[in-house]
Parts: sequence; structure tokens; C-alpha cells
Amino acid sequence: MSDSSSLNASVLPDDAAVLARHKPKGIWRQGCERFLHSRTGMLGLVLVALVVAVAVFGPFLAPFDPHDQSAMLDPGAKAPPSWVHPLGTDRMAYDVASRVIYGAPTALIVGLGAMSIAAFVGVVVGGIAGYRGGLTDEIIMRATDFFLVIPVFVVILAVVRLLSSMVVNTPLESIPYLNLGTIIVLIGIFGWAPIARMTRAEFLRLKNQEFIEAARCIGATTGDILFRHILPNALPSLIVMVALGIGGAILSEAMIGFLGFGDPKAVSWGQLLFFNYESLKVAPWASLAPGAAIFVTVLGFNLLADGLSDAFNPRSGR
Amino acid sequence: MLEPVRSAAASDPLLTVRNLSKSYPVTRSGLLRKKIVGTIDAVKEVSFSVHAGETLSIVGESGCGKTTTARSILNLVAPTSGEIQYQGRDVVKTFATGGREDALALRRQMQYVFQDPYLSLNPRWSVRQILREPLRIHRRGEPATWDDQIEHLLARVGLPASYADRYPHEFSGGQRQRIGIARALAVEPRLLICDEPVSSLDVSVRAQILNLLADLQDDLGLSYLYISHDLGSVRFLSRRVAVMYLGTIVEIGDVDAIFDRPRHHYTAALLSAIPVPDPTRVATAKGVRGEAPSVTERPRGCPFHTRCPAALPVCRDEMPALVPSDPDHKLACHNPR
Repeated sequence: MSDSSSLNASVLPDDAAVLARHKPKGIWRQGCERFLHSRTGMLGLVLVALVVAVAVFGPFLAPFDPHDQSAMLDPGAKAPPSWVHPLGTDRMAYDVASRVIYGAPTALIVGLGAMSIAAFVGVVVGGIAGYRGGLTDEIIMRATDFFLVIPVFVVILAVVRLLSSMVVNTPLESIPYLNLGTIIVLIGIFGWAPIARMTRAEFLRLKNQEFIEAARCIGATTGDILFRHILPNALPSLIVMVALGIGGAILSEAMIGFLGFGDPKAVSWGQLLFFNYESLKVAPWASLAPGAAIFVTVLGFNLLADGLSDAFNPRSGR
Repeated sequence: MLEPVRSAAASDPLLTVRNLSKSYPVTRSGLLRKKIVGTIDAVKEVSFSVHAGETLSIVGESGCGKTTTARSILNLVAPTSGEIQYQGRDVVKTFATGGREDALALRRQMQYVFQDPYLSLNPRWSVRQILREPLRIHRRGEPATWDDQIEHLLARVGLPASYADRYPHEFSGGQRQRIGIARALAVEPRLLICDEPVSSLDVSVRAQILNLLADLQDDLGLSYLYISHDLGSVRFLSRRVAVMYLGTIVEIGDVDAIFDRPRHHYTAALLSAIPVPDPTRVATAKGVRGEAPSVTERPRGCPFHTRCPAALPVCRDEMPALVPSDPDHKLACHNPR
């Protein structure tokens, strides 16, 4: 007992010192601090950082060119891991490690590209619906529902197949990564609906709050209110959705690639699975490595989203 | 700047509200579209005026339309009908169809202090950002002088300049309300509309905020439209008071006259409900019978006749007009006390 009281006494001056040094904290800063203390969030951040690092420094890390099939001659196709080929070679004698490394930038471009489109469309559409309300809201939200119920994969596969046969013998054929670009745009276009719903809900919640009315009283313009007051307050929940969506978009692209509809010129993890699943029993490393890469990346973004959600919506439970 | 004028009758009023009404449609969603099945008259034919340097209080129980009245003056709700004039300028028309500069000019004259300081400050903005906003919108001086102005504003409301970089959640309710008042003062208005500025605060800090409002009035010659259900603060702050019941003003006049000798039975009941801080005294509040009728089923005739102890048959059929009973005292009652 006496120990604890002396301990308290020694703590108190420190507390006072802390208070004196008190630095003002905005909600952003507080959120960041909470995020740094959340274990899941930090694990997610580490995983995502790992993927980003691999994507950026890949060309320096990869032992072989992604299109180098020379291993066909020496260890041969489906060779098990060795010092030269740390993850073995696959059915077509590509170096698995190099292919997985070169798959990282593709995955990130798909994730970020698709979610940028989805976030932009979603925020604009949801923002208009939430702020205007009334009939505009009703019409926009029915359109959003329509986009939510469309079987996305069927549409994407159909469009990719149609487009790739349509561009033959046209100037469009020469556009690099046209197929991949199409996939990114389509994932984006079909991914905005949940973001629009979230944005609408946040705008509805915020637009009638008293501090918005206070801004209106002062004479703030609609633009001020939307972009300086409402949007920054809606941003935390939107960032969480976007982080979650990046993982989702990467997974979607992997699925499209696995079904054989990916961009033949791009190196993508889903496509590696598609090329190698038939030899799963003979050369499991060729399928497991890209599978693990997809797993780590998607897990990373989901954990990151989880951590952000805990950090910025601390009252939302658990 | 005009000198604060205490003798109200002598000068032209700053703000004049004439026959202000606000009604909301009651809708029922039908098969295809919403059907309007009736209207709620939140505010009905309200008229009053506020003179330079004076405080007019509006009192009444919850839902009597006092807040709606206050909000329609700054166009936070658009009035259904009626006229609002600020020194001869048509306020309703300026906000509805006038240019932005005209509207801003009006906003520089009238500002609003909100009821709940926990909701009326943007949680993501520091105090500096909150106070900079009106300076930016109204282009008050060079941007380089804004920090000085912010410091000055904070000092005005009794906060140290070091608070400028803190965020609303770090403050107590009273401090937040001071920030809200500072924001309203940033454009140097002549009329502050205070919508229950102390009702969400602890009793211990209420007095501080009320004193601050009184000091600001003395120093700056402000006029207040003070909305409250707290009769003690009304008597402290104001010279004239309007009593509202179910969207109409039932009695308006000099605060001492009304508090000492209420003529309307509703005012009398309201005043008898003031708690007396004397534990030996047995509560004698007569109060009023029953609940206030819902605004959707506003009674015909005098709105108060369903609860009035002195209702006459005529009260049931005929709405009493607000007519002068004494100089500077108006009353809407068929059978006054």
C-alpha cells in the first residue's frame, strides 16, 4: 500500500509536466496516435509497406527478367527451388520468384487505380445525393442499387472478351496494357456503389449538424460547406472503405486473371495461378508462391482498414 | 456606430419582424409520392421588434416556436410568410434572391449564437481555424492581421490567446460557448441572436456566460434577441420579454412589468413555475393543467384555452389579437388577469 502511494506521489509532478508541455492535438493527430498503437493496423501497415517496397524495388530484387524462359535449358520447367531459382521454376520455365516480384506493381496499380476511380465517382455521386436530398437522392440511390446488384464478374469477363476481339486490326491494338486498363476501369466503375452509399450516409448525418448551420450563418458558400466542413469530417470512414476496397480490387483482378481473362502482357498473380494450377501436384511452388502473395497483400490492406477504422471511429465498438 | 439606445420608443427599431409564420407540411407517403395531409404551424403570425442596444427575450416552453422564430431571421429556416426587416432592408428577400454581397452585409449585422456548443463547432478545426473562417469570408483586413484579430477576439470573450491552437474537444462547455460567441463577434455584428446559449451548460458556468453577454452589450452596444426558457436569465439580461405559446406571442412588454404583474394566464403559470431557492418554503407552483396540445392539433380560438383557468366561451372560438394593454405592453387575451 505504502509503495503505491509513494509511486503516485512520484507520478504526479510528471503528469503536471506533461500537461504543461501539452501539444494541441487535432482529431487527425489523435487518430494517427491510436493507429500507431493498434496491433492489427500496424501489422497491416507493415504488410502493405512490404508489398509496396517489393513493387518499387522489384527490378533490383528479382534475379531474372519476368519474361526470361532460359531456365528451360538448365534446371528445366517445374524445377524445385534451388539457389539459382529460390522459388523454383514454373510450367513454362519462368523463374517463380521473379514473376511474383513483378506481379506486385501490377497488383498495386490495379488496386489503387480501380479504387481511385471508385472513390472519385462514389464520393461525387454519394455527396450529391446526400447533400441535395429529396428526389435527386431518390433517383441516384436507385441507380446505386442497380450497380450493387449487377453480377460484376460476368459483366467484366464479357466486356474484356468482347473488347479484346474488337480491337484486333484497329489502332487501339497498339495501346500497351489495354486489357489491364480495361479491367481496372471496370472494377472501378462497378466498385463505387458502396462508397457512394457511405458518402451519402455521412453527408446526410453531417449536413444538418449545428456546426454546418453555424458556417452557413457566417456566410460560407456551398463549396466551403461541402469541401471544408463536410468532406473532411466524412473522410475517416471513407478512407477505411477505400483501404478495404483496394484489397478487394486486387482480389477481383486475381480472380479475373485466374479465369484466364487477364492481360497476357502483364505479369499478374492471378494469371500465374491460371498458368500453373494444372501442375499443382508436380510443382506446387509455382502456384503457392503467387497465392501467398495475393493472400499477404489482401490481408495487409484488410488489416490496415481495420486499424484505421478503430483509430478514427473509436466509439464504433469492439 | 450608433450609440446604444435605451429608450426604445424614441428610435427606429434595428430589427422588425411582422406576421412571421413558418409552417411545415405533414406528409404521409402514398403509393407513388408523398401526400400532404396537413400543416404544422410552428410559428404563427409573430410580430416584434428589437431596438439598438436593447435585449428582447423570447420565452416559452419547448416546442413553442421560439427557436424557429430565431432561425428564420438568419434564414436557417425559410419563413413561410411574413416580413423581416433590418433597418429597412428586407431580410427575407435579401437571403432568398439578393446577391451574395448583400447577404454577407446582412450577416455582418446579425449573428447567431447556438444552443449547444458541443455541436456548433467543427470538431476537426482548431479554434484559430474556426475564428479565421468569418474573417476570411468577410475579408476583414489583410490576412496577416487575422492572427492579431483572433487574439483580440479570444481576449474579448475571456480566453487566453494560447487556446487558439487547441481543438474544441479539449474545452469545457462554457469555454466552447465563449468560442461560439467569439466566432459570432468576428464580423462585429450589431445584433446577436442567442438561441438558449446557456441551457446546455452547467449551472455554475451559466452565470459566467450571462455576465459575458451583459459585458459585451455594455462595451460594444450590442442588441440581443435572447431565446430561453430560463426565466431567471431572462430577467437578468433583458429589458423586454415576449412570451410565446404554441407558435404565437401571447404577451410582450417590459420585463419587470410582466414578471411582477403578468396579465396573461400562461405567463402567470410560467412564472409560478420558477423554483425558489428556499428549502423551508413549500412549493406552491400552481402550474398549468395538462400538457401543451400538439402543434398538429392546434386548438381553435385562443391556443391556451384548453388549459386556461379563466377561459370564457369566446376563447374557444375566437383567437385573441395581440393588442396594447398599457404603453409598451401588448397582450393577447380575452379575459386578462
